[in-house]
Amino acid sequence: MNKVIVIGGGTDALVAAQMLARAGREVITIEGASAPPDEGWVPRKVLRELRIEGLKLAWPDPWLTVPLPGGGRLELWRDLARTVEAIRRVSPRDADRWPEFCDRMARLARFLEAVYAAPPPDPLSAGFALRARRLGKRGLADLLRILPMPVAELLDDWFESDALKGALGAAGVLHLLQGPRSGGTAFRLLHYHLGSPPGVFRPPRSNVMDLLHKLPRVELQQAEVLRITVRGGAVAGVVLKDGRELAASTVVSSADPRRSLLELVEPGWLDPELVRALRHVRRRGVAARLRLQLDRSPGFSALALAPSLDYLERAYDHAKHGRVSREPYLEARCDAQQRMEVLVQYAPYGVDCSNLKDAVLALLSEHWGDAQPQHSEFLAPRELEQFEGWPEGQPHHAELSLDQALWMRPLPELARYRTPIQGLWLCGPAMHPGAGIAGAAGLHCAHAILGG
Amino acid sequence: MRNYDVIVIGGGHNGLVCAAYLARAGRKVLVLERRERVGGAAVTEEVFPGFRFSVFSYVVSLLRPEIIRDLELPRHGLHILPLESTLTPLENNGYLAQWNDHDQNRRELARHSLRDAEAYDEFGLMLHQMARAVKPLLAMAPPDPTSLSLRELFGMKRLAEHFQGLGAKRFNTLTKLLTMSSADFLDEWFETEALKATKSASGIIGTLLGPRSPGTAYVLLHHYMGELDGVFRAWGFAKGGNGAVSAAIASAAQAAGAEIRCSAAVESVLISHGRAKGVVLEGGEEIRAKLVVSGADPRRTFLQLVGEKHLPEAFVESIRRFRFRGASAKVNLALGEAPDFTCLPGRGAHLRGAISISPSVAYLERAYDEAKYGEVSRRPYMDIVIPSMLDPSMAPPGKHVMSIFVQYAPYHVNGGWTDARREALGDTVVDTLSQYAPNLKPAILHRQVITPADIERIVGLTEGNIFQGELSLQQMFFLRPVPAWAKYRTPLAGLYQCGAGTHPGGGVMGASGRNAALQILGTA
Repeated sequence: MNKVIVIGGGTDALVAAQMLARAGREVITIEGASAPPDEGWVPRKVLRELRIEGLKLAWPDPWLTVPLPGGGRLELWRDLARTVEAIRRVSPRDADRWPEFCDRMARLARFLEAVYAAPPPDPLSAGFALRARRLGKRGLADLLRILPMPVAELLDDWFESDALKGALGAAGVLHLLQGPRSGGTAFRLLHYHLGSPPGVFRPPRSNVMDLLHKLPRVELQQAEVLRITVRGGAVAGVVLKDGRELAASTVVSSADPRRSLLELVEPGWLDPELVRALRHVRRRGVAARLRLQLDRSPGFSALALAPSLDYLERAYDHAKHGRVSREPYLEARCDAQQRMEVLVQYAPYGVDCSNLKDAVLALLSEHWGDAQPQHSEFLAPRELEQFEGWPEGQPHHAELSLDQALWMRPLPELARYRTPIQGLWLCGPAMHPGAGIAGAAGLHCAHAILGG
Repeated sequence: MRNYDVIVIGGGHNGLVCAAYLARAGRKVLVLERRERVGGAAVTEEVFPGFRFSVFSYVVSLLRPEIIRDLELPRHGLHILPLESTLTPLENNGYLAQWNDHDQNRRELARHSLRDAEAYDEFGLMLHQMARAVKPLLAMAPPDPTSLSLRELFGMKRLAEHFQGLGAKRFNTLTKLLTMSSADFLDEWFETEALKATKSASGIIGTLLGPRSPGTAYVLLHHYMGELDGVFRAWGFAKGGNGAVSAAIASAAQAAGAEIRCSAAVESVLISHGRAKGVVLEGGEEIRAKLVVSGADPRRTFLQLVGEKHLPEAFVESIRRFRFRGASAKVNLALGEAPDFTCLPGRGAHLRGAISISPSVAYLERAYDEAKYGEVSRRPYMDIVIPSMLDPSMAPPGKHVMSIFVQYAPYHVNGGWTDARREALGDTVVDTLSQYAPNLKPAILHRQVITPADIERIVGLTEGNIFQGELSLQQMFFLRPVPAWAKYRTPLAGLYQCGAGTHPGGGVMGASGRNAALQILGTA
């Protein structure tokens, strides 16, 4: 018996299934109802190994529009020189510093891209040290200093414009229950910068899901996994909600690790210490989602409403004390069909968000001119959990904080995709690199299975 | 004119430790102290007649045992009295007490949570292991990860081997401690709010960070380091106040031949041909030496005493980015009688320990929230000791001195520090504390309030940061004070640093002073 069952329908699950099928395994994919989170950058290695062509990465241009307090807008373009001119109207000093900032961040991003294109590094290995050394003296010093830093400090080091710092700092806290003054948030600015050209600090949209769906595959639609059966410490298969049982010697789950190991697997197979550690994996959803159909163009394709670092920090303060931000941070994207998606942060999981939608619409209406919303759908983290299958509404399944990143993602004991149950493997957003990096965790997981 | 081998700028405890080690190795050393007494922030002063205070730093715990041993500090008068407990009064008139005595502590914790009482021993063991894992690093000049010299590469390799030697489990716990917030870290262990808050408070001392901010878990460990060598060397108090620590080290230095000059403020480092040749005192006196070691903090040392024109541009930029952001204040009270806590009335053993105003993590976070935006916490975190309970010589008979460490009082307070603000801070502290000990207000005979601006003005610590620079992950170990210059050397030949702005940082540890001396002597 050499059957593999892959649980989930996200990019990681699809990539893992493809890789295993191509290696000669008999693979069944159970997509279930869970929706994949937005996928951004796709590491080249994923495309190369699956021999996928035709990937399109798209950034809006300007990639971000930032309303200014006195009216007017700061527009950040894909073209560096054009951005410099735009920033110059806000702060000549910041405009002068922008190119060097972009260059130094891009260098670190290239390094992280290489790290993400491989399974989690062993921080104490000579290989990792040598790779980091290739950054050069200043690059390495930047890396060591910036990784643990609060994004607010990083930006304060470079810039003076509140509008610019707020818009960049927002990437440091997106989907995280921390504020820009918390340590480890500068790393997240880099994370969202990966795969983007220098000076673009938001991930692209890609057509990777369409490409993956075009590949020949085996799947079982509309099925939900009820249980992963384990016999004698090894995986035996899965039981579906409709009662069917499927036997398999290998199960790859892209569900979040806590669900995979503590809910789908019967209790008793895991070491109590690991169970305790799993229960402490933080996966608190903090962003609500508003989807709108507008009757005309709002006049921007990507808008960030985070006027300053203090604004973000105050929004976080409310969430920290268990409330919805009185003045939330908004990140809106609108496509050519005037479909708009807005992330609203902070809306902590389990907190009453009933008044939030109107507040968001009121905030947005100041910026979209005469556009009128035709249809709208507002989902708080609790609904995102219910409808999208994101645990606690967290699309990354495990918050991307420094202690849950790289070789610690989601836990050091599980970071290599293998679980203590023989034949049970993990991929998905909670596994390195995860968190919106499409397919890489699936690829690394498949390699671990095939290599082991 | 006399010639010296080494001039040490600043007679703080690190400067004195450095001088003592150098003098013992036969170097001719001169320590120059700006104030009229040595000690820097570790001084005892009779602020009010009959009442003696450890004006700034107020407890000892982290002072490295090898320094106490090498310099024979007990022979020079150091006597440490242990603090036996920490009392956390609660807002509902309850309390949580932590005792050094194991069984007593367990009984008390079990009153709040059986689970926490169970977990406590394991937690203690874990922290003990972590402290042991970090201990060798404290006595080390951090290797430079950006250098390609064989020596540094070898240092990095040894460092990696040290971590590998811990085993995967301990290494993982250590990385968690380095990257997590103290509140998140403690959430994994305990459920009693006051316990988590009081323990996480160790993670915020001296920094402008809240207990939920990543990086604070390490500061928590930093404050545990002193509990290594047995219960008796846990948090304690120097008999005669913290000035007695400095006095003992100064005495050891002098016995070894070092010369100490007080009221000798250094105006600048004397530089010729790209090399430090000595110092110039305020008033113009020049003193020459082969080497100059600065115990002042990095900003003061490089931007004030040296001057940026003598330094590489990139280095100056890094020093400018080194963060201070003092957030701590101190209130010293002379009391007519001992405070009487509603939650635990009378003059029990708890008054001989520390008293922590940290009822919940949310309380600490709220205190931090206000400071983030430049306000003094309306309900601050406080760490209180009553030295006269342990050492009656600190106050007239029957009377007491109370030392209150207060956070957060940001250096960059909105509108700046004024006399009115200072007194308002004092009122806030007394009012908050009076809620727990109502007899406090009428018992106050005198009050001294020290803001971060005062700390800067009096002791010379930039922005009043008690650690000579924030102890955050990006300013630690081989990044302290700046990458590539963490080995006590500086870009200026002949100039070294030995203050807490270098690895491993503050807390009256003395390790920076010792490490610097060993580097200079080439025996590290």
